[in-house]
Amino acid sequence: MFKYIIKRLALALLILLGVSLIIYILVRCMPYDYVTNKIAALNTQAFDATAIEKMYEMYGLSDNSFLGIIKGYIQWLGALCRFDFGTSFVYGQPVLDVIVDHMGVSFAVALIATVFEFMIAIPLGITAATHQYSIRDYLVTICVMIGISLPSFFFGQVLKDLLANKLGLFPPSGLVDATASHTGIALFGDYFMHMFIPILTVVILSIGGRMRMTRTNMLEVLNSDYIRTARAKGLKESVVINKHAFRNTLIPLVTSLAGLLPSLFSGAIITEQVFDLPGIGNVAFKAMMQADIPFIMGYNMFLALLSVMGVLLADLMYVIVDPRVKLTK
Amino acid sequence: MSQENEKVVTPEANATEPHDKNVKLLSPGRMVARRFFRSKLSMIGLLMIVGLFLFCWLGPVIYPVWGETEQDFSGKTEYTYSLVTYEENGETHSFYQLVETGKEINSLAKPSKDHILGTDKDGRDVFTRLMYGGRISLAVSFIAVFAINILGVVLGGISGYFGGVIDDVIMRICDILMCLPGFPILLIISTLLDAANVAANMRIYFLMAFLTLFSWPGTARLVRGQILFLREQEYMVAAEAMGYSTSRKIFKHLIPNVMPQLIVSMTLSLGSMILYEASLSYLNMGVRAPFAAWGTMINIVAEDSNILQNFFNVWGPPGLCIIIAVLGFNFVGDGLRDALDPKQRR
Repeated sequence: MFKYIIKRLALALLILLGVSLIIYILVRCMPYDYVTNKIAALNTQAFDATAIEKMYEMYGLSDNSFLGIIKGYIQWLGALCRFDFGTSFVYGQPVLDVIVDHMGVSFAVALIATVFEFMIAIPLGITAATHQYSIRDYLVTICVMIGISLPSFFFGQVLKDLLANKLGLFPPSGLVDATASHTGIALFGDYFMHMFIPILTVVILSIGGRMRMTRTNMLEVLNSDYIRTARAKGLKESVVINKHAFRNTLIPLVTSLAGLLPSLFSGAIITEQVFDLPGIGNVAFKAMMQADIPFIMGYNMFLALLSVMGVLLADLMYVIVDPRVKLTK
Repeated sequence: MSQENEKVVTPEANATEPHDKNVKLLSPGRMVARRFFRSKLSMIGLLMIVGLFLFCWLGPVIYPVWGETEQDFSGKTEYTYSLVTYEENGETHSFYQLVETGKEINSLAKPSKDHILGTDKDGRDVFTRLMYGGRISLAVSFIAVFAINILGVVLGGISGYFGGVIDDVIMRICDILMCLPGFPILLIISTLLDAANVAANMRIYFLMAFLTLFSWPGTARLVRGQILFLREQEYMVAAEAMGYSTSRKIFKHLIPNVMPQLIVSMTLSLGSMILYEASLSYLNMGVRAPFAAWGTMINIVAEDSNILQNFFNVWGPPGLCIIIAVLGFNFVGDGLRDALDPKQRR
């Protein structure tokens, strides 16, 4: 087990190296760089060629040949070894700080949404499985399939239009009410009101997948021999379902929890765009539009790290949850 | 895995006529088709997809009144009124000022006989753009899914069949590509396309080509796993013993047995690919105005809250079209999965 984890971690390091190289080369190939943008934004004639050259030098963007890019990459990697992700061009803060600052919102939305997703999807999946091919099964299936099929930006706008603009129940965008200065519990209430529609959007979109998963697993378990034995013993149907079947249905659900790791922290670019939430996805989108190289690198590596860890954790979870599974390799 | 392996082959099974008149012989393919066509949901899904395809490809032929990028220059008079208050001799008076402006373009028209679903901000017919937009969205998704699957089958097949160093190399590339964050990478590539001055209506094809390059590992893993499993089956040992050529073993004995899973995953990924394409267009990275794609048509609400609140006819229909398309593919994919499952008895 220990040896396996070490091996996987070494492999993860290799993967991350490859990912970072690809992203770095792509980012450096971007047509508009931060310095040009900044000079254009300042809109003065005061810059002569040497000053511009100096500025490029300062941001480490002066050499755009292939060798220059490789050199830049090695420098970036060297700094990374000292846990220095560099300073974001746009925000002027260390990249890690920017990520941590904006992660809270994304994490809160994702966490609450995930909790509700599991709470709603699992019971739905179980009823659909125990009443297979009944009207209830079809109804639930059709509803969640519609949920999966909704484009997040469209559904988000519809909810925004309906709940915020037409009915006025919730504020349409942003995270805090700019006109009011709340403190303490009122502030949390304000946060909640602003996050309600985004969370609702995410929950409705994601219930489907989880429900289908629960249903398939439940059906598989219900067809197995020990369920027949349990029924033959004369156990009550509720005991058979809730005690015998449900516990085994949980195995894949628990392992899938580990796979959720990336989505918990990475933020949803589109949902955050629609509702103008200052989450990590939204910030990253803006940074990418401004060619903020250290931030793009930091953010993407953060995502890659999360997904590598997610896969590894999911594999380990299998072994922990289900004693029949043995580690190979 | 497939039906052929599980069916007990009796000597009589070769005969076309069963000995007992009451027994009907059905080939596995027929059985799958019967299961598929019996399920109501998959039929509804099929209907939705076929309907959309007819709408998008035949629609502009039957209803050629407006073009995709054609603007309605019939003009429009717009009335805006505002409350004006003024002060005279210490008293305040107020009146409503009605301003009549003549606009060159018939923009944001309500649904009428001329424009079935009204016009958008630039006076283009929404109904017509819906059809042209659908062509792009559907075609692009199909091409991407096929390309992804071809790449995935070839690379996954090679990796699974030959194993060894090739397998290791391909799988490590898979690992790396699977960890690349898809959306941010496409954002970066989108800016690269800007720099390369790619034509507005070709952008989406390039983007999807890059997406293909990053998305084949999922399919490759599926195929590889399946082939690793099949390689150990007795019938493959038999094929080996018969001295069949490698290509015959791969194309006649392995690939057909991977097909069921592949078809299901393809149908389901068609739906998600349409969503992906729409999201790209929504973020103004894919198809850009004046050209139409369903995502592009919804994009406008992000900038203009007036349209969001008052002109559902501009952005509602493309959203509904996306839902219908994705839902259709999901229904069909689900139906296919049930139909191809040999454990299913119904």
